[in-house]
Amino acid sequence: MNLVNTLISAAFLVSVLRGITPYFLGASAANFSERGGVINIAIEGFMTLAAFTFAVTMSFTGNAALSIFTALFINVAFSLLYSVFTVKLKIDQIVTGVGFNLFIEGITKFLLMYFFHSSSNTERIEDIPLIPGLKSIPLFGEFFGDSIILFAYLLMPLSFFILNRTRFGLRLRSAGENPKAGESLGIKIRSYRVYGIMISGLLSALAGIWLAGEQNSYSDFMIAGRGYIAIAAMIIGKWKPVNIFIACLMFAFFEALQIAIQTSGTGFPTQFIQMLPYLITVLVLIGFIGKTKPPAADGVPY
Amino acid sequence: MTPKAKINLISISISLIITVALTSILIIVIGKSPVEVFGKLFLESFSSGYGIGQVLFKATPLIITACGLAFCFHASIFNIGAEGQINAGSFVMALVAIKLAFLPVFLSLPLSILAGFLTGGIVGYIPAIIKIKKGVSEVITTIMLNFIIMALVNYFLLNFMAVKSTMRTEKISDDMMFLKFANWFEFFHGSSLNIVFVFALIIAALSYFIIYKTKFGYDIRAVGFNKVASEYIGLEPSNLIIKVFFLGAGIAALAGMNFIFGYKGYYEYNFTNNLGFTAIAVTLLAKNNPVGIVFSAILFGVLDYGGLAINELIPKEIMFVVQGLVILSILSVNSIVERKLKGRFGS
Repeated sequence: MNLVNTLISAAFLVSVLRGITPYFLGASAANFSERGGVINIAIEGFMTLAAFTFAVTMSFTGNAALSIFTALFINVAFSLLYSVFTVKLKIDQIVTGVGFNLFIEGITKFLLMYFFHSSSNTERIEDIPLIPGLKSIPLFGEFFGDSIILFAYLLMPLSFFILNRTRFGLRLRSAGENPKAGESLGIKIRSYRVYGIMISGLLSALAGIWLAGEQNSYSDFMIAGRGYIAIAAMIIGKWKPVNIFIACLMFAFFEALQIAIQTSGTGFPTQFIQMLPYLITVLVLIGFIGKTKPPAADGVPY
Repeated sequence: MTPKAKINLISISISLIITVALTSILIIVIGKSPVEVFGKLFLESFSSGYGIGQVLFKATPLIITACGLAFCFHASIFNIGAEGQINAGSFVMALVAIKLAFLPVFLSLPLSILAGFLTGGIVGYIPAIIKIKKGVSEVITTIMLNFIIMALVNYFLLNFMAVKSTMRTEKISDDMMFLKFANWFEFFHGSSLNIVFVFALIIAALSYFIIYKTKFGYDIRAVGFNKVASEYIGLEPSNLIIKVFFLGAGIAALAGMNFIFGYKGYYEYNFTNNLGFTAIAVTLLAKNNPVGIVFSAILFGVLDYGGLAINELIPKEIMFVVQGLVILSILSVNSIVERKLKGRFGS
């Protein structure tokens, strides 16, 4: 009964609507890279790196704007490195992505120990300030007042528009669908692929920053597979922003449900509650109709 | 030496140098001396029989898991779910060993090992089917399965099998435990090195033979090299991918033998401690060659064991950094070396 009351409460709705943020940012990150023809399995690592950089800078300076900027900057640097591997050297994109994930996992583990003498987490960091006017809206203040959430929601129509209606988006897609044809029209395919990866790095950075801000710290393994789930959302959403958003809504719902079950104390084994998001991901991937159809040149070096 | 082998050796050496150089820079940045750190690492590992024994003991599960991954990687299956496969397989392995204790050892031991192999294989079968039927990358599904399996193992362990207030099963019977090297050679006194190391070497030799000297191995490499072309020579890539995923995941799971039969005598939750991911670095550094895997596993054994010794100088987590650096440098160096030297060696 307790659980039912929770599920129909406004607070639950808000937590679902807020919870979309990291999934949709991560899935859009993966999408911009893949629409340009480069698979980016490193979303998980990019999110981890940004969450870490943000939390470390925040705990040393206490300046949210500076910390966000630093995290974005480091992610751009890593995106460029990722471009060197996948676009310049044409190394297998999946292997590179996993390599980046493992490297980032390693360096963050090491630096966490070095900076904070802890294998688990940073010190507590301050909240990211909410937007002054919007944060006083009743019930939804934490929703509309949060600049990263607002950005994530604007990103849905924005990325639809960019990918379908702008010169940049169409050129990016030509790099992912048919690079040869694109090049014969004078499009610099490799540059567009790099742009796609850079956008990917920036968007996944925002996802990581938001998560670290939410829990007021960075803790080891805090992204906990969300980067991979975001990629699953992109696949389920068939590489289309609106569909991806709906897929993310589903994952956010199950995450909120997971927390609701956990706190309502239904006596359901915690292990089953914890594995819910991952189980749902696999089941949805098995269950959804038809074979996936990524951009034609997705994953093919050019 | 074939041109391919030459290229591989050159790129492996260069990437090791790069890894050491970058790690040294990191050590200098945090104000320590790389000479001191690396010196201590190798001194601790090789100055005593105990150290050498421990290094080989740490290398043992890496060799086994990496060989399993080598099968997958040769078929272009990027299995990053070894962590889940080993835990599921080892858990069942220990369970069967405990439940079949009434049988003579020559029956119960092989049966429990087989059970571990099959469990690992089944865990590998799931992402294989999803990959074939739905075209979803195994990278995503294997990671998801890692989480699911760790939760399931945790549930069954804590609710039905665990020794009170621990995260482990009860012990298997003593007569199922493997002998330690130290029992025969005083040299290895105190180290946990055991027969499973020999078993790992046999697996490596067999894997090498299968991958490079049999038709099955040739088929695997053909599918991995060019899936479409392999169909034209009459292969069935889907079928083969399922087989290889099962086999590779099953072999990977056998790594649990070292811990269960050779060391502790029970399954402990998450005893793997990232083994499934370290094995990825081991395999890639060896260019998927099982013989090379033995050497690269020993190298990582040094890092693992020596890491404990250098912990007073720098956090032992440096090992995870090295692991990542090895992967990134072997990938990039190999790509560059191949392009530069291809013409020269005429391959």
